[in-house]
Amino acid sequence: MKKYVSESDVADMAEYARIGLSDEELPKMTADLNGIIDELQVIRQYDLTGVTPTFHPIGDLSNVSRGDEVKPGLTHDEALKNAPKTEDGGFVVPSILGGEK
Amino acid sequence: MSDIFGTMSAAQIHQGLASKEFSAAEMTDAILSGIDAADKSIHAFLQVTPDLAHEAAQKIDQAIASGDFESMGPLAGVPCAYKDNMNLRDTHTTCASKMLENYVSPFTATCVQDTLDAGCIPVGKTNMDEFAFGSTTESSVFGPTKNPWDQTRVPGGSSGGSAAAVAAGMVPVALGSDTGGSIRQPAGFCGVVGVKPTYGVVSRYGVVAFGSSLDQVGPFARNVHDAAEMLNAIQGRDPKDCTSQQSAKDFTANLDEGVKGMKVGVVPAFMESEGLAPEVKNAIEAAAKHLEDAGAELVEIELPNAKAAISAYYVLGPCEAFSNLARFDSVRYGYCDEGHKTLAEQYEASRAKGFGAEAKRRIMLGSYLLSANEYHNYYYPAQQIRTLITQDYQRAFEKVDVILGPVSPCTAFKLGEITDPATMYLFDMFTVPVNISGNGGMSVPLGLGKDSSMPVGAQLICPAFGDENMFRVAAELERCYGSNTVAPDFASAAQANASAGANASADGSASAAVSADDQKGGTR
Amino acid sequence: MISLEDAMKEWEPVIGLECHIELTSLDSKMFCSCKNEHGDAPNTNVCPVCLGMPGALPSPNKEAIKDIVLTGLATNCDIEKHTMFYRKGYMYPDMAKNFQITQGPKAFCMRGHLDLTIDAPAANERVDIPEAQGKDGSYTTHIGIHLIHLEEDAAKMVHVGGREGRIEGATHSIIDYNRAGTPLMELVTEPEMHTPEEARRFMEKLREIVLALGISDCSMENGSMRADGNVSLRRRGTEKLGTKTELKNINSFKNLHDGLAFEIRRQAEILNEGATVLQETRHYDPSTKHTIPMRTKETAADYRMFPDPDLAPFDLSDEFIDEVRAMLPELPDQKAERYQKDWGLSSYDARNLVKDPTITAFFEACMKQKDAQKLVKPLANLLINDVAQLGNEVEDFTLGEGPLTPERAVSLVGMVDAQDISTKQMYEVLKFIVDEDKDPATIVKEHGMKQVSDTSALGAVVDKVIADNPDKVAAYKGGKTGLLGFFMGQCMKALKGQGNPRALNELLRQKLQ
Repeated sequence: MKKYVSESDVADMAEYARIGLSDEELPKMTADLNGIIDELQVIRQYDLTGVTPTFHPIGDLSNVSRGDEVKPGLTHDEALKNAPKTEDGGFVVPSILGGEK
Repeated sequence: MSDIFGTMSAAQIHQGLASKEFSAAEMTDAILSGIDAADKSIHAFLQVTPDLAHEAAQKIDQAIASGDFESMGPLAGVPCAYKDNMNLRDTHTTCASKMLENYVSPFTATCVQDTLDAGCIPVGKTNMDEFAFGSTTESSVFGPTKNPWDQTRVPGGSSGGSAAAVAAGMVPVALGSDTGGSIRQPAGFCGVVGVKPTYGVVSRYGVVAFGSSLDQVGPFARNVHDAAEMLNAIQGRDPKDCTSQQSAKDFTANLDEGVKGMKVGVVPAFMESEGLAPEVKNAIEAAAKHLEDAGAELVEIELPNAKAAISAYYVLGPCEAFSNLARFDSVRYGYCDEGHKTLAEQYEASRAKGFGAEAKRRIMLGSYLLSANEYHNYYYPAQQIRTLITQDYQRAFEKVDVILGPVSPCTAFKLGEITDPATMYLFDMFTVPVNISGNGGMSVPLGLGKDSSMPVGAQLICPAFGDENMFRVAAELERCYGSNTVAPDFASAAQANASAGANASADGSASAAVSADDQKGGTR
Repeated sequence: MISLEDAMKEWEPVIGLECHIELTSLDSKMFCSCKNEHGDAPNTNVCPVCLGMPGALPSPNKEAIKDIVLTGLATNCDIEKHTMFYRKGYMYPDMAKNFQITQGPKAFCMRGHLDLTIDAPAANERVDIPEAQGKDGSYTTHIGIHLIHLEEDAAKMVHVGGREGRIEGATHSIIDYNRAGTPLMELVTEPEMHTPEEARRFMEKLREIVLALGISDCSMENGSMRADGNVSLRRRGTEKLGTKTELKNINSFKNLHDGLAFEIRRQAEILNEGATVLQETRHYDPSTKHTIPMRTKETAADYRMFPDPDLAPFDLSDEFIDEVRAMLPELPDQKAERYQKDWGLSSYDARNLVKDPTITAFFEACMKQKDAQKLVKPLANLLINDVAQLGNEVEDFTLGEGPLTPERAVSLVGMVDAQDISTKQMYEVLKFIVDEDKDPATIVKEHGMKQVSDTSALGAVVDKVIADNPDKVAAYKGGKTGLLGFFMGQCMKALKGQGNPRALNELLRQKLQ
């Protein structure tokens, strides 16, 4: 099979997507992705010169917006109800920089 | 008792309530116990909501008592199930993922609210492929749903729970979502009607997004009329979804008109596709013949760029999914792997453990395809191919009113039969072009396949915002093949009488109904 | 360390700015109907959309589109008719969806500019001689605007356990999503500024314009206007750009100027030593007046940008753009031009009167008073100098509110003009007006401050001073004319400072002949 991404590429992608991948998972994920990417090559063989992309399948719909009106949102309790960890009315995350380095 | 209600159509239930044959409370109890019984083997539901159901039933009974019921629409009192990617306030929305196992939604999706406003009785949330990634419902972290026609087979997916719940007579109607075939394919596999409306007909607000430019919500039902009533209720512009559009049609209006004078497109290239099972091919050809006999004109058309649809779909879907699933980060809600010192560690561990294999594959793929180096190799050209595919349909619909073809290349396969993701993706070849262009499509049962004795579905595709065309043709097919069919294991004698029309076999030979015994021979 | 002046002799700074302006006058957020107010209790102005809950979808605020088009028209931008919102991906908890909705390569506003006039002495930062140098030592320069786009703001984070709430060393952080999703404009300039003063003046002028448009309170202090500045140096006479550093989150005009000045000096020293400047993000600390490297959150600069499929594109019609154009108020530059033309004010005075909408409004109210036309120059001085000084000295003083009314201001400068009080006394009277809430005439009377201009009264004092100082008179007549100041002082002392200086001067000269 053709190789589009190496294990190290996949490790980089995983880091970017913030998905921890173990060393054992890496070879299978790499093989799966190469298998899938191989199926995508059809679109690279197309001559698409001058073809406008369609980013939205909505015909001529444009300028969809709303008026500047305030409507009730969630109560504070509703907002925090599903949070794994809270403090002082806010959502909590562990150290972002991981301490001084 | 439960069998009776479980196999009644939505219209029959509504009528029974109106004529006070039964109360909403007793009907709801029977439906809930029916779910209880059938779901032990099928596992269509992730959550049953008896409290909400009883509350809604009580309101219906009050309306009946006060005389207000008469002014309520045709869905008043109809039990409905929802795919578990749809938010219903104060219930779980799990997306069949460990990531959202404990998530309790603080709001209700517009499409769900529309059915509640129409008087539907919410009975629960149905199983699905994790985050709708899949075509078998096997990737649900809570275990697969079984096909009611043969429990060794998959119900299809990703809306497999909704399709199976309808097919097994647990509910008359349910909602699903379709990103690449996730309503039509399970409807086909389970022998029910499944509609993916034109993109924009139904609001996506409150439905957990997979591929935002591809996702569309639609109904499952055991007959075309019920499906049309459901779409009537959920259609229309929602200020909360900028891609939803004005739509206020009565999709039941032309169901009795027949197809005389209609032009039905058939795509020879599709019928010659490699991998199209002979029983499916025969069934579609027979359906075409039926329509011709009923006065429709068959017109051969071409969709030359459909061959690139799978590739374009597996670029667009994962790219949008990668971005849509970035929000599941263990901070505001969702699975959090506790005890990590840094945010990066918590992110990586939570997402590694919270997402299943297919979700991870698609997120990783999207992250690769959207990277600055690859954007112009895949994402951008895929959107150009979207233009070509859309133009194909526009040209085709200058000549025809509807396109007839297969939903899937084969009938339902065995649980665990297909494990390679790239192979699995190819099964979506007939359904994904429609999501890419945004056109509407629906699956209509054609009876059972000659070889597998499993349901075969026909796909009808309509011009953008011409969804009434496919309903009209679907109604004609229903007149040929029968309606309100419940999978035999779940159909009682009472149902056999209630069901309109006899079963017909998919190859079109008259009254060659396949008995449940024949189908199940030796499977258990 | 090398001085800014020396650094600039050899090296030419190239400065670009990114200015963020919150649209504080809007009621609701950019993509949801939550209250556009982030000072409230944490996580109380939130909904499924701005919390990024599964299934929620954005819906753009129409008025925000109007506001940005207004800004584009006011800053000479082309309005891009067909644009889309994009998703800019980055995993960081200040953006609930882990992507920010912003605009792509095409923003609503493109290719604009502002013309800046830099006054002396700050104009001297520019060591090359700009072409349009004016007689008053000022010069005018043209700064390109690359684009202005519309986006959603991020949540606020409080870092706990680190020094002074810094992210470095924090054990955990607490997130408040009230600000998440509030409407934000980002303006990116071309790298066409060459002194810290030009950068400061650009920001000031942008603020003047946005305040005039009434779409933001532009408070640097509260963060509703923020700036990032990037600067690189190149040897004078060369074209190729050097390596730039970026100063993030600057919260005052002074810090923008001083931070950039420090960076220029720092980079010049590095380059003078033959070393290379490191491309990095730095933080300016006003207490030490130094910049220090910042540790940033981003692991990659690849934002995975793509058009947001949840939002329809925008196709702005000519009619819409014309409608917005019709809403444009008179802009500061146009006002300044009118002040010069109609009232003969100098360019300097006119420009300074239009810097702050409060001053501008007060000035225009003054000009509606009887006889104000002939007092326009002293009125300008009063507002530009004395009122500014008053603002620094008196706590809670707000122009346009309280005792200082346009009537009193005109009457005050009228008294100076009529030589009833001296210019020195004017400031004292001004303070009394604010303290005592009385008309200037009453204050002058009650405090006995009226200037003595009567020749006979002044003559008596002059005669007495001459009589008391025969030696000095002799010396003066002998040629020591510098003693005039002594005689003036003596007379003023006798008059308790209330003598009309001009009249006194004249009388003294006469009588000492």
